[in-house]
Amino acid sequence: MPKLIIDGRHIEVAPGVKVIAAAEQAGIMIPRFCYHPALGSAGACRMCAVKFLEGPVHGLQMSCMMEAKDGMVVSTTDDEAVDFRRFVIELLMRNHPHDCPVCDEGGHCLLQDETVSSGHVMRRHIGKKRTHRDQYLGELIQHEMNRCIHCYRCRRFYQDFCGYHDFGAMGSANRTCFGRYADGPLENPFSGNLIDICPTGVLTDKPARFKGRRWDFERAPSLCIHCSLGCATIVSARYRELVRVEARHNPAVNGHFICDRGRFGFGFANHSNRPHHARIAPAAATYADALQAAVNQLTEISRTFGSQAIGTVSSSRAGMETLMALKILASAQQWRSPSCFQDARQRNAVVSAVIRLSPDTAVCLHDVECSDHILVIAADPIAEAPMLALALRQAWRDGARVTVLDPRPVSLPCEYTHIPVAPKQLSAVLQKLMNALLSSPDTPQFPPLRTSDDAHNAGTVSSPSCDPKPDTALQLPLLAASLQSSQRPVIVCGTNIVSGTVVNAAADLVMQLRASRKNAGIFNILPGANAFGAAIASPDGASFSEILTAIESGEIQALLIAESNPVRWFPDRARIRNAFKKLKLLVALDYLPTPVLDVAHIIFPTQTHFETPAVFINQEGRMQQTSMVHCNGMPLSQQTAGKHPPREFRHDVPGAGAKPAWQVLLELNAALSAVNTPLPSYSELWEQIEQETGIAIDRRPDSDILEGRRLRLETQVHLPETPPPDTPPPINLQEDMSLELYPVESFCGTEELSAYAPILCRMEPMPELIMHPSDAAGCGLTDGGMVTIQSDAVTLDVRLKTAAGTATGTAFLPRHRQLVWRQAGSTDSRASLLQK
Amino acid sequence: MTQVLFKNRHPDRIATMEEYRAGGGYDALTAVLGKYPRSKVQQLALDAVLLGRGGAGFPAGKKWMTVAETAPFPRYMVCNADEMEPGTFKDRVLIHTDPHQIIEGMVIVGYSVMAERGIIFIRASYENAARILEREIERATTAGFLGDNILGSGFSMKISVHRSAGRYICGENTAQINAIQGKRANPIQPPPYATEKGLWNLPTVTHNVETLACVPHIIRNGPEWFKSLAAIPTAAGTKLYCVSGAVQHPGCFELPMGTRLSDIIENHAGGMQAGCAYKTCLPGGASTRFLPKSLYDIEMDFDTMKKAGHRLGTGSIIVFDEKTCLVGATLNMMAFFARESCGWCTPCREGLPYMRDILARIEAGDGKPEDIPLLRQMSKYVWNSYCALAPGAASPVESLLTYFEDEVQEHIHQHQCPFSSKG
Repeated sequence: MPKLIIDGRHIEVAPGVKVIAAAEQAGIMIPRFCYHPALGSAGACRMCAVKFLEGPVHGLQMSCMMEAKDGMVVSTTDDEAVDFRRFVIELLMRNHPHDCPVCDEGGHCLLQDETVSSGHVMRRHIGKKRTHRDQYLGELIQHEMNRCIHCYRCRRFYQDFCGYHDFGAMGSANRTCFGRYADGPLENPFSGNLIDICPTGVLTDKPARFKGRRWDFERAPSLCIHCSLGCATIVSARYRELVRVEARHNPAVNGHFICDRGRFGFGFANHSNRPHHARIAPAAATYADALQAAVNQLTEISRTFGSQAIGTVSSSRAGMETLMALKILASAQQWRSPSCFQDARQRNAVVSAVIRLSPDTAVCLHDVECSDHILVIAADPIAEAPMLALALRQAWRDGARVTVLDPRPVSLPCEYTHIPVAPKQLSAVLQKLMNALLSSPDTPQFPPLRTSDDAHNAGTVSSPSCDPKPDTALQLPLLAASLQSSQRPVIVCGTNIVSGTVVNAAADLVMQLRASRKNAGIFNILPGANAFGAAIASPDGASFSEILTAIESGEIQALLIAESNPVRWFPDRARIRNAFKKLKLLVALDYLPTPVLDVAHIIFPTQTHFETPAVFINQEGRMQQTSMVHCNGMPLSQQTAGKHPPREFRHDVPGAGAKPAWQVLLELNAALSAVNTPLPSYSELWEQIEQETGIAIDRRPDSDILEGRRLRLETQVHLPETPPPDTPPPINLQEDMSLELYPVESFCGTEELSAYAPILCRMEPMPELIMHPSDAAGCGLTDGGMVTIQSDAVTLDVRLKTAAGTATGTAFLPRHRQLVWRQAGSTDSRASLLQK
Repeated sequence: MTQVLFKNRHPDRIATMEEYRAGGGYDALTAVLGKYPRSKVQQLALDAVLLGRGGAGFPAGKKWMTVAETAPFPRYMVCNADEMEPGTFKDRVLIHTDPHQIIEGMVIVGYSVMAERGIIFIRASYENAARILEREIERATTAGFLGDNILGSGFSMKISVHRSAGRYICGENTAQINAIQGKRANPIQPPPYATEKGLWNLPTVTHNVETLACVPHIIRNGPEWFKSLAAIPTAAGTKLYCVSGAVQHPGCFELPMGTRLSDIIENHAGGMQAGCAYKTCLPGGASTRFLPKSLYDIEMDFDTMKKAGHRLGTGSIIVFDEKTCLVGATLNMMAFFARESCGWCTPCREGLPYMRDILARIEAGDGKPEDIPLLRQMSKYVWNSYCALAPGAASPVESLLTYFEDEVQEHIHQHQCPFSSKG
């Protein structure tokens, strides 16, 4: 461990740490432009020059290029170093347009900061400045090349870190510029990070352009809830409107970056149709009236049909508080416990994943980056957990192998082996892989599992056993050997197209690898930001398809839906519409303008996680809390229709009728209870949650809370021994040739919240039906042609895309917001394919 | 004067392979392959004090020794023929004189580091030389000196000719490695060194054309013979000196290493042109310092030049006479360097055009007295740039201000170039 002295401070750092990073550990921020902790050193800007006084090197050197070594004495304030840095700034400012008043970076610009701190004030250069033509880089990023100081961060991030090549450095010498060969939208789904890493205003946030300066904003640390990873963000708001989202550094989860869905998908919070006031359909009502009406009707229904005639529904996008408040309400009133999952398969997969995750085997995204072999099972990272794809690439850059066992033509920004396996064959393939692992010499026997083999098969529909294809069979021993030779293997398992059987088989593989003294880990991907929390809150709740059946049979007469849009993931619109019509009462709580609100009898608007603190538990069991960014209300731009300043003076906040969903639910509970139930505060609610589930809110100082904390599941959380039952396989497209259709996610257009962000809606690709070319030929279909999927409920026209990486016998259709199609998985679904 | 590299030099044609073989060509290869342990080849080069002729003067044997015995395969041998240093044309002359000594040198060095893949990276405008090399590689392969299992030794080597895209920075070792891989020609600061992680992260040894051409002769005649070729005991071998500028007979001359500058100019380049008086020269290409008149008799070898505070560089002497404006000459070179910067680091990308602009203003008569300290500060600070391009580019400016400040002052005070009014 090298020990060195920087500015008189003694520091000991890990071997290989650069002096610039060592100084940072000691609290000394050496000026920099090109150095970035995630991108490493480049030595391009020469801004981090310091003077080495003693030790192995002497004189003026770049602190980002020098490894910290024993005996170094470094001065960052030496006259020569200070003067050189001022000279570098002078050179950089020679061509910088100095257009700070009209630059969006102004106020949080590294170049501004370093220029001021370097002491460079007078420009000695006479003559013209260099100019460039700006490019159109799509709807997300504004290009202003004249401001560039050539730190190469963008190129290094885009090409080296992300592995995309449509943006990079062009030209040479003084004419070097950064852009694309031709104008056009950036292809990289992580391109938004260019905004964060650009040290000046070359690449700025286009949707947030001219919306305000850093100091104009209300800013708070928050979380991304557009997938289950729970990436850390910082959110800025102004005039009751969310303006921009930036990545927040969380070393365990997202590192320094987030994906574009998380960055630009916040439009739902500003949506012009967002409910701002309570309603008793069809008219607006006061909150008190709505609450009273709900209490009266619910009491009436409960008295007439019994308390079990009232169903409750929530979803994995609801925070822990909402889920638990709903659970408290349902159990206090003896209603049906909350339904948080769309169908039995999903519930089975998610609950299995949560049950099988132990603190020993759970790994975070950072651990994935440090792994040396990653096996991805039934997951499409870019679509289901985008930052995972970036983590896989970092692992691959460090020499890790990546293998994908998935039926889809998965695309990753790194080299990987793809073995297409149909979902129903996956558990058989994993069993063969397990056998291969066991058959390798000196493998210790499988250790006893937390749940026995019997337990996790109990209640599940036995999966059809299919022999994997011969080529797959050939690849499995190689894969097993490779896993055996790795030291830190990670198994990534998705829950989107498979049931708990596969999730369990993946967890078994991890246990087997651990038995061979591998530091193996499991990394599940779950459907939704708080799917983990939903599994804890309501592992035994009915799935929505079961709720629907109960409504149709008249068992359920009233439904309370809290922050859930079952219409979205149950797009058999006719069936759901008829079912909702049968209901005596539909109470809906939401911040999204969902179709449920259109048919609900009583509506309570709720607050987003930007407006009230909310706890989300990510897919690895990490509990994280959001902070309040701004207060709830109607955005000024909507209230005044663009007129500014508003000429209407009032004492209240316009449009601030929404409460946190958990508060509405608890008030409902208090009002419904015969005995006088006191209304719990936020911290009292958490005390109750702790009693119910064993999980406690973090009360450490703020700085620690920002990283979140992984739950100790086996001691804290009460979960059932066995997951709930599974459902039969999905719909068969062509009966004669066994072609199964699976609904899948895509990066843009399928995720619920970002579907309310206009900017992402404009970018989403057209949905395509994906099939193997031989399957398409078997059905007489041609690539690129329009096909019609016909079932007894709907007819759907969609373009066909054939991809050789698809497993034969399967077809995939994104759960695209533009597609209205029959729910896959319902027992009576049959469909046929026709070429148009 | 012993001619080694230019032994087969003809005024009108390229030496044939038969001619080269008749003079002992490919004997070294026959002697070495499969017979010498690789360490012996390295030791011979080290004993012969063969210093890299590309300008840096690094001992060639030492470079080969940095390729570890256990290093991964395939390993690469690169011949740097990207001769773009202003005033330098020795590699072109050498290729047009006797190309087989380069090929033989590559195979021997390749054998000593177990590199089976050779690449000649050649300047794009040297199309003739590239075609000569391609043709002679073909002939050498047919004759069994290249290709699979050379002379039954079990060692195989293939050489391909790669044309540069045409930037000065591609001549820099690490930038060249990027260029060959199809990346932007930005240098890479070691560690890791190219001999450890070069092309595609595999060991890569790069040598200048002239260095490689010396290798077969050293093997054949021994290190002592090579050392005895030099004019002074502290140097070794011969050197190809290029002389250009205001001399009677500009050209490329093979002379003992350490030949005096005055000797080169007066006896080999025919002395100054009629009516011209020697003022100064750049001794090793445009990226070296102007030599003051007091060093007119200096011995031109790496060591002596270094001790005098100068660089031998490529040994390409650009001679300036009393009537030449050195501000104009420096501006010309700075315009070249500013254009040829790769654009990676700030001092080079922004500093060189800045210096060029100031020089242009001085030359145009718009200079200010404060420009001189500014230029001095910049020539000092560009030494803290990423690679050696900017320090080289600053050398003429710095030495201009050191030895010829009066001339710069004259420009500023007269508000015009003093030479333009006289001429």
